[in-house]
Amino acid sequence: MSVAASSTQMAAPDGTKTLRVTDAQGLPRQPGSDRLFRLVCLTAVLAMMATLIGLVGSLVSGGWLALSHFGFSFFTTSTWDPVADQYGAAGPIVGTLATAFLALVLSLPVAVGVAVFLVEICPQAIGRWLAIAVELLAGIPSIVYGMWGLFVLAPWFAANVQLPLMMAATPGSWLETLFSGVPNGANIFTASLILAVMILPYMAAILRELLMSVPSHMREAAYGLGCTQREVVLRIMLPYVRKSAIGAVMLGLGRALGETMAVTFIIGNSHNFPHSLFDSGSTISSTIANEFTEATGDMHLSALIALGLVLFMITFVTIAAARLLLGRGGTK
Amino acid sequence: MSFVEPTTDTPTVMIPPPQGDRVIDVHNLDFFYGKNQALWGVDLPVARNKVTALIGPSGCGKSTLLRTLNRIYDLYAGQTAKGEIMFDGENILDQAKNSEQLRARIGMVFQRPTPFPMSIYDNIAFGVRLHRSVAKAEMDEIVERSLVRAALWDEVKDKLNTSGLGLSGGQQQRLCVARGIAINPDVLLLDEPASALDPLSTAKLESTLMELKDSLTIVIVTHNLQQAARISDYTGFMLLGRMIEFRPSSDAFVSPETKAMQDYITGRFG
Repeated sequence: MSVAASSTQMAAPDGTKTLRVTDAQGLPRQPGSDRLFRLVCLTAVLAMMATLIGLVGSLVSGGWLALSHFGFSFFTTSTWDPVADQYGAAGPIVGTLATAFLALVLSLPVAVGVAVFLVEICPQAIGRWLAIAVELLAGIPSIVYGMWGLFVLAPWFAANVQLPLMMAATPGSWLETLFSGVPNGANIFTASLILAVMILPYMAAILRELLMSVPSHMREAAYGLGCTQREVVLRIMLPYVRKSAIGAVMLGLGRALGETMAVTFIIGNSHNFPHSLFDSGSTISSTIANEFTEATGDMHLSALIALGLVLFMITFVTIAAARLLLGRGGTK
Repeated sequence: MSFVEPTTDTPTVMIPPPQGDRVIDVHNLDFFYGKNQALWGVDLPVARNKVTALIGPSGCGKSTLLRTLNRIYDLYAGQTAKGEIMFDGENILDQAKNSEQLRARIGMVFQRPTPFPMSIYDNIAFGVRLHRSVAKAEMDEIVERSLVRAALWDEVKDKLNTSGLGLSGGQQQRLCVARGIAINPDVLLLDEPASALDPLSTAKLESTLMELKDSLTIVIVTHNLQQAARISDYTGFMLLGRMIEFRPSSDAFVSPETKAMQDYITGRFG
C-alpha cells in the first residue's frame, strides 16, 4: 500500500461521507519493490524455521535408536556404561537441573543487590561505569571461567571449604551426607558457583533495566509518603517489576542449563547420580562434550544425541516460560 | 512573550496572612538544578487550614517551590536549596537527614495518579504501616475514614481488595489523596493534581479539597486559574523563578497590582 498523499471526501451509497485514500501522485516508485522486500524477509524467516525444524528432526532421528531401545528408563536409570552399551541419563539430567537451580539461588540475591545499588544507591554517573564493569563480566569467555575454576577455585575450595566442612560434620548426620565427596573441589557445588558467576551479569543487567523502568513518579510518591530507601526498593520498586523479573531469572536459568565448557572443567565428570552437594557429577552438555569424540558405537552416539534432545527440551520450556512472563509486560 | 522580565527591582506585592497563622514560612529561598538557578529569593507564607494556590506560566518555578516543601528534591543529586523554610519552629533545609519524618507530616499528591501496584486497601494501609503498627480493626477504620474524606468510599467500598490500578484516573487521584491524608499530615502538597483529569473528576477532587481544609493545610500548584480562584484562600503568582504577587485570592483575581499578574490572569501571556 502506498503512502496516502491525498484524500477526497466522497459520498458512500448510504449517504454518509467516507474518506477515500488515494495513492501518492508524482512520487517515483516501483510497484514491485515492496514485493521483493517482503520476499527477502520471508526467506530469512523460512530459512530460520527450516533450521529449527531440521535441528529438532535430526535430534529426534539421531536419538531414536537409544530412546526406543531404553524407553523411559533412559530418563530414570543412572547407569551410563559405554562398555556394556547401557545408557541411563538420570545422572546428567539431575546434574544439569541441580547446578542450574543452585547457580540461580546463589546468583539471584547478588544480582538484585547489584541492580539496586546501581539504580537506586550510587550516583548515576558512577552507576553507568559500574554497569559497564558488570557487562565486562559477561564478556569473559566460558573457557576462561572453566580454567580459573579448575586451577584456582577448585583447589582453594577443597582446602578451605570442603575439607573443613567434611571434618566438622557429625558422622552419620544428614550434614555428613550433604557434604560427602572426594575433596578435590571438582563437584556439583563448585560448578554451580562458577555458573552463578557466569549468569550474574545477565541477571543484574536485566534487573537494572527493569528497575530503571519504574516511573519516577512512582518512586517520588513512595518517598513522598515518608518511605525510607529500603522501603521504596523492597515494597514498591521490586514488586512493581516482579513479573518481568521472573522472566529475567528464567533467561539466566536458560543460560545456566546450556553452559558447557566451564562446567565440563570443574564438575568432576562422573556419570553417577550425584548424592551430595560435594559429589562430582556431570551435566548433559558436559557429558556430550566429553564423549562425542569417543562415541564409536551406534548406541553410544544415539544416546548422546538423545541427551541433546533432552537438554533442548528443558531449555525450550524454560525460555518459553520466560517469554510468556516477559510478554505479559509484567509491570502491573 | 511580551512582559517585563522580573529583576531585583521588579515591584512585588506581598499581602501575607498574619504571622501567627502560618504553618510554613518560606524566606528568601534560592533553588538550583545543578548550576542553573530556578528560584530567586522566594517568600511564601502558608496559612494554617487554608488553601494556598501557586500560579504562573510554565517554568516559573511553582512546582520547584512545592517540591522544596517536603524535600522531595533530595532524591536527585545536584538539586540544592538555600534559604529558609520554617516549619514547626525549624528550618527544614537544615535537617540533613530526617526527610522521612518530614514527608509523613507534609504529604504530596502528584500530577499523575500514582497508585502503588497493590490493592486499594493496601495502598492506604501501606503508608500508615510505615509510621506505626496498627491493629486490623483500627486499620479498617482508617482506610474507610480516609476514603470517605477523599470522596471515594462509595465508589470502592465493595472492591477494596482489587488493584488500585484498575480505577479510573480521577478515582486513582482521589485514592492518592486518601493515601496522603491517611497518615494524618499537617500539610498536603498538590502538584497540578487535576491536569490529567476530566472536568467531572476535577470537580469531585476540588470539592474533596474544600472539605479537607478544615483539618489540614493545602498548597496546590495549578495551571487552571478558575480552579485557583474557586478553591484557594491565598494565591501566589510566580514568574521566572520569583514570587511576584502574593495576596488573598478574594482580590487577587479581581484587582492584581503588578502588571505581570494582570497580564497573566487576563490571558495576555502564559
